[in-house]
Amino acid sequence: MAAPPVQPVPTPAAANGDAFRLGFVGAGNLAESIARGVAASGVLPASAIRTAPHRRAERGAAFASIGAQLYDSNAQVVDDSDVVVISVKPQIVKQVLLELKPLLTEEKLLVSIAAGIKMKDLQDGQRRVMPNTPSAVGQAASVMCLGEKATQKDENRVRSLFGAIGKVWTAEEKYFDAVTGLSGSGPAYIFLAIEALADGGVAAGLPRDLALGLASQTVLGAATMVNETGKHPGQLKDQVTSPAGTTITGIRELEKGAFRGTLINAVVAAANRCKELS
Amino acid sequence: MAAPPVQPVPTPAAANGDSFRVGFIGAGNLAESIARGVAASGVLPASAIRTAPHRRAERGTAFASIGAQLFDSNAQVADDSDVVVISVKPQIVKQVLLELKPLLTEEKLLVSIAAGIKMKDLQDWSGQQRIIRVMPNTPSAVGQAASVMCLGEKATQKDENRVRSLFGAIGKVWTAEEKYFDAVTGLSGSGPAYIFLAIEALADGGVAAGLPRDLALGLASQTVLGAATMVNETGKHPGQLKDQVTSPAGTTITGIRELEKGAFRGTLINAVVAAANRCKELS
Repeated sequence: MAAPPVQPVPTPAAANGDAFRLGFVGAGNLAESIARGVAASGVLPASAIRTAPHRRAERGAAFASIGAQLYDSNAQVVDDSDVVVISVKPQIVKQVLLELKPLLTEEKLLVSIAAGIKMKDLQDGQRRVMPNTPSAVGQAASVMCLGEKATQKDENRVRSLFGAIGKVWTAEEKYFDAVTGLSGSGPAYIFLAIEALADGGVAAGLPRDLALGLASQTVLGAATMVNETGKHPGQLKDQVTSPAGTTITGIRELEKGAFRGTLINAVVAAANRCKELS
Repeated sequence: MAAPPVQPVPTPAAANGDSFRVGFIGAGNLAESIARGVAASGVLPASAIRTAPHRRAERGTAFASIGAQLFDSNAQVADDSDVVVISVKPQIVKQVLLELKPLLTEEKLLVSIAAGIKMKDLQDWSGQQRIIRVMPNTPSAVGQAASVMCLGEKATQKDENRVRSLFGAIGKVWTAEEKYFDAVTGLSGSGPAYIFLAIEALADGGVAAGLPRDLALGLASQTVLGAATMVNETGKHPGQLKDQVTSPAGTTITGIRELEKGAFRGTLINAVVAAANRCKELS
């Protein structure tokens, strides 16, 4: 039931001769997550990554710790990159794009991960992608926007870049608010769930360290099962709930507490907030 | 804050000179998952694995395809193994142990993965104390188990290391006292089902917000996988990770607020506690 993400196996750049320089305009947390994931995956050497942290020393330190090169200005970053990822705050997006326009020649591919930039703000050939924080550990859920004018080569480059740090889907722009509410904000919901599972373990008598370790590994394993078996989560749940057993007892508590409804509410509320902000 | 599971990277037996023969009594799915993981990771050569599929041809085929050796009887398997894994259904563990008792000498390590069968019973039925009891969980099937072991009185450090390398081939491994096993069942045993519900609900939320179902479900499971990977790999407290991704008046904190309204965390705590209590009742 899970849609297989359309994604080629990423080839290390050296292997296919397509080594490129990757620049980040806007050195924020999501940009750092992507940079970290890209360097760790080996798709590019860390030295191929560049950004301009401006006066924010801790952002510079974060990127430097990955092995990226630091420049003084966005213009320098763009000039010295083949693929440019734009990730600045919505308030300054327009200004930044205007400033950089002369440097964004046709040879360069611009990929926007900025919340405030829509396809209509981008030029021909530029792509919009919504990745998420687990980029940092190579398990992003990224959605690429279908655009009229991007070439197949551009699409392949974006796909291989984001495919190196997780899974990639393609979808129409109209879905991006909902995507933000789900995969954009979703990791935080799961951080809460892991904390709560650990608390439950402690409540049931486990030492904290053991409870937290089991909690995160249990969540990882369950998600891996959904990903890899391709079975409906409801079917997987059926398969592990033996009659009058421990698991169905736990499930019953979740149903009592409207666990599923609450998660639905969170996704919808976050998607609506995204729409408000745009 | 996440405790790194105390687990060395499984080393190929040849590399550290500890090559041993592992036999599975009961050629079921969990045994197969472990065997597959062990062979694929190189912890042991496949030929060091043995089992007796009895008359169930497809089980024999499954194990043979891994490269394991097939025998005709459990007795032969036990005889030709250094580590004997009891992987039959809980209801027949007693009968199997009584039958194999003469062969289960102190030179062999007995490992039980039978749910709910306590160390004391394992010792009584096998006449042995060199035993390790392991509680794995369902994601063994995809190599991402959360397994907890407890040690019998005569299990040695080398025994613990061997079991760690076997179960490390299919996920993460912890050692804990048996008194924690009911709670472990409520958390890592039953926990995957809670997350199956969560993934379904996230997908439903995506659909409610306008996404096509396939995209919503794919994003839901990958998002959960990514978040758990972050907790595992960064070693940061999940609350700290949540802080780092909730920008002021942003989309994420808006979602979090709904979860708090709905007592999301409290409900999960209830589920773990209720399942642990049910496990205690059943034992």
